[in-house]
Amino acid sequence: MRKAKAILNDQRILLAIVILLMVIIVGTISPKFVQLSNIMAIFQQVSVLGVLTMCMSLLIISGGIDLSLGNMMALSAVVVASLLMQGKSLLLAVTAGVLTSTVCGLFNGLIITTFQTIPLIITLGTGQIFNGISLLIAGGSFLQFENKLNFLREIKLFNYIPLMVAIMLLCVGFMGVLVNKTKFGRRVVAIGGNEKNAYLSGINVKLYKIIAYTLSGAMVSIAGLILASRLNSITANAGSGYELDAMVACVMGGVTLDGGRGTIIGAFLGCLLTGVISNALDILGVHAYVKIIITGAIIVTAVVLSNISSLKRE
Amino acid sequence: MNNMNVPLITLRSISKEFPGVCALSDVSLDLYSGEIHCIVGENGAGKSTLMKILSGAYSPTSGQIVLNNEIYDELDPETAQNLGIQIVYQENDLVHSMNAVENIFIGREKTKKLGFVDKKSMYSEAKKIMQEFDIEIDLSVKIENMSVSDQQFVKILKALVNNSRLLILDEPTSMFNIEDSTKVLELVKKIANQGISVVYISHFLQEVLDIADRITVLRDGVVVKTYEEVKNITMGDLTLHMVGRPIDKFYQRDKIKISEEKRLEVCDLKLNKNSPEVNFFVKKGEIVGIYGLVGSGRTEIVRTISGADRFYSGTIKVDGVSVNINSPKDGIAVGIAHITEDRQQLGLNLCHSVLENLLIVKLQQMRKSLLYDYKKQGSRVQSIIDKLKIRTPNLLQKVIYLSGGNQQKVVLGKWLITDAQIYIFDEPTRGIDINAKYEFYEYMTELVKQGKSVIMISSDMPEIISMSDRVLVVRDGSIKDEFTQDEINEQNIVCSALGVAI
Ligand SMILES: Nc1ncnc2c1ncn2[C@@H]1O[C@H](COP(=O)(O)OP(=O)(O)OP(=O)(O)O)[C@@H](O)[C@H]1O
Ligand SMILES: [Mg+2]
Repeated sequence: MRKAKAILNDQRILLAIVILLMVIIVGTISPKFVQLSNIMAIFQQVSVLGVLTMCMSLLIISGGIDLSLGNMMALSAVVVASLLMQGKSLLLAVTAGVLTSTVCGLFNGLIITTFQTIPLIITLGTGQIFNGISLLIAGGSFLQFENKLNFLREIKLFNYIPLMVAIMLLCVGFMGVLVNKTKFGRRVVAIGGNEKNAYLSGINVKLYKIIAYTLSGAMVSIAGLILASRLNSITANAGSGYELDAMVACVMGGVTLDGGRGTIIGAFLGCLLTGVISNALDILGVHAYVKIIITGAIIVTAVVLSNISSLKRE
Repeated sequence: MNNMNVPLITLRSISKEFPGVCALSDVSLDLYSGEIHCIVGENGAGKSTLMKILSGAYSPTSGQIVLNNEIYDELDPETAQNLGIQIVYQENDLVHSMNAVENIFIGREKTKKLGFVDKKSMYSEAKKIMQEFDIEIDLSVKIENMSVSDQQFVKILKALVNNSRLLILDEPTSMFNIEDSTKVLELVKKIANQGISVVYISHFLQEVLDIADRITVLRDGVVVKTYEEVKNITMGDLTLHMVGRPIDKFYQRDKIKISEEKRLEVCDLKLNKNSPEVNFFVKKGEIVGIYGLVGSGRTEIVRTISGADRFYSGTIKVDGVSVNINSPKDGIAVGIAHITEDRQQLGLNLCHSVLENLLIVKLQQMRKSLLYDYKKQGSRVQSIIDKLKIRTPNLLQKVIYLSGGNQQKVVLGKWLITDAQIYIFDEPTRGIDINAKYEFYEYMTELVKQGKSVIMISSDMPEIISMSDRVLVVRDGSIKDEFTQDEINEQNIVCSALGVAI
């Protein structure tokens, strides 16, 4: 009995059950839903969000947050795209893209730690800055780069798994191992759980925070590449709103906003759930507007559920 | 004791000023290897602040720390730890979402290649130390699911796993029962025997006299006296220096006539389906002491009465009328004030002012209009502050900046300010200095004189004996014995609590 309760309190298992139920129900109504190709499509649909969710969960677990992620991603992708359009090599373009978002992340981290400001507000501001820079580079137009990033979609591992999906899963695995198994990760959790304690235990809190923001920035560029590949073009505003989706995925997955709690797998399942919902509603032919309402309702339910376990904790 | 001639660490005229408060002025102290150096003083005397300067949590306004012939103007936590200074802070400072073993090694994680943490070796090292010092806790349990005393052991283990030359323990036993306290005292002696210098802070003066090699008394941020020898000192001497005037060793309470009317009756109370039934009552003007070992269920019983926890069945009557208490709010409404055991976590809004904290319950009661009039309450609040000797620069100081003992007094104060009829105190004087303790006893006597009723849970035997009109002993979740008048003595109570024949 106690064990059953413990299992239900575990966000990961709760989410897995919810996802499984949805798959079974929707699958019975419309068998197309459970075809392997559709399942791959779902993973492909969430691949951008998946990577961003990883960045966001690292930061939220560390006790911070980054609301500039969406615009940071767009900026990185815009840099890649414009270099590709100028005929620069793929390697150079990608390197520049990675550097761009890494610097953005570092910038966030430095401001937040040096001036001890609230990450929520600061990153809201820096996000605007990144967006502005993207607009300066891209203007208002679509940047098209002659299918040069199609390989992310077209290369399929084992003939089934698109490269972008594999990369996303790799990011999930990487973050999971980082947070759970490494000294760096455990220290980040400790900082998020009780910053004062971490400092008094001799941890260089500022440094770790800066590294977390920078690392998250570096990873954002991967999301940017996947986004550009999926759209086969990019605009300066293509990333807006993604940061909120990532935040929602985290919270649904049991990563609480006060830091120090939650799992990477949970966050990923949260992200997957949004993908499953959206795909299922499409397949069931739900009207686009109704779909928005249902999505919202499910998010609210999931967040309430995730909160119930922490209410019990009190 | 070895190396008696060369101090391990010297503090040279340390001063520390906080905005509006001078916590330490010109404090000098030598610490030798292998000695147990106790520091005593009233709440707010500056004991914790001095230790935080040693551990690098605070930097001194002026003064120096000398260690290994090196002179430091200030330390930071990392440097201090590398120098072998380990500390168990007075406040609860653990990461609640992590388990015990991880907490023990925060900042000192053991790693394999590539920065992967080595859980196995962390477990085995922690276990080794637990065995050595006879500590028993489950290392894989998350802190938030641990009892307060287990958490305290985690803090102690955390200080022990690292190589230390100086171990500072700031009121390590204030959360413990006798048994666990004894463990800690044994541990301290063992450590000192290994040649490590130990600084031990406590308000239990008997403890201090038992283990100290030397004792330093602080008052108002100044060293009043350092005893080089402990043999011939009495508790009276210590308190004289702490307080600046002599105070009695045993508190003598005015007994008053207790009315025959029952204020509170608890009938057939069952906490859950299989627990034993609990029956007891409290009369008007009576102080009922509840004694029991930690884990005996005494706290759980009173928690249901005040509405902090739900119960399975039974009735609670106040003034003969049965009442429904399902939440703390209901409890307050029928006039029950409950001062909880775990004050730091449950009792205070640390980031709010002393004034707000003191008035938070009161305001619920007097909410008639939308606006609160804080100012009107000023004199009332001030009188509580004076009575309990809460040391704060002003009413608007945030509680987090008060000393540990003064925070506890704020929790006491906030319930004393309300007009309750029944007061439930759970370990009311933990961490409170002896002087303030007696002031609190006065206050409690004052309450019963007004015809109010008091239930007091306490592990402090002198406190139970001198304050209670009646003592109930709880064991295995039920009330096993009741003692009145002459029966109230240490032997009766302890035997009953342990369940051995008298
Ligand atoms: N961070 C802070 N900001 C402002 N004032 C502080 C701060 N820390 C401590 N003080 C003040 O310094 C004085 C000494 O506090 P300290 O915590 O050292 O007392 P203590 O001797 O440990 O008392 P206790 O026995 O209650 O733990 C107190 O008056 C307290 O209010
Ligand atoms: Mg203190």
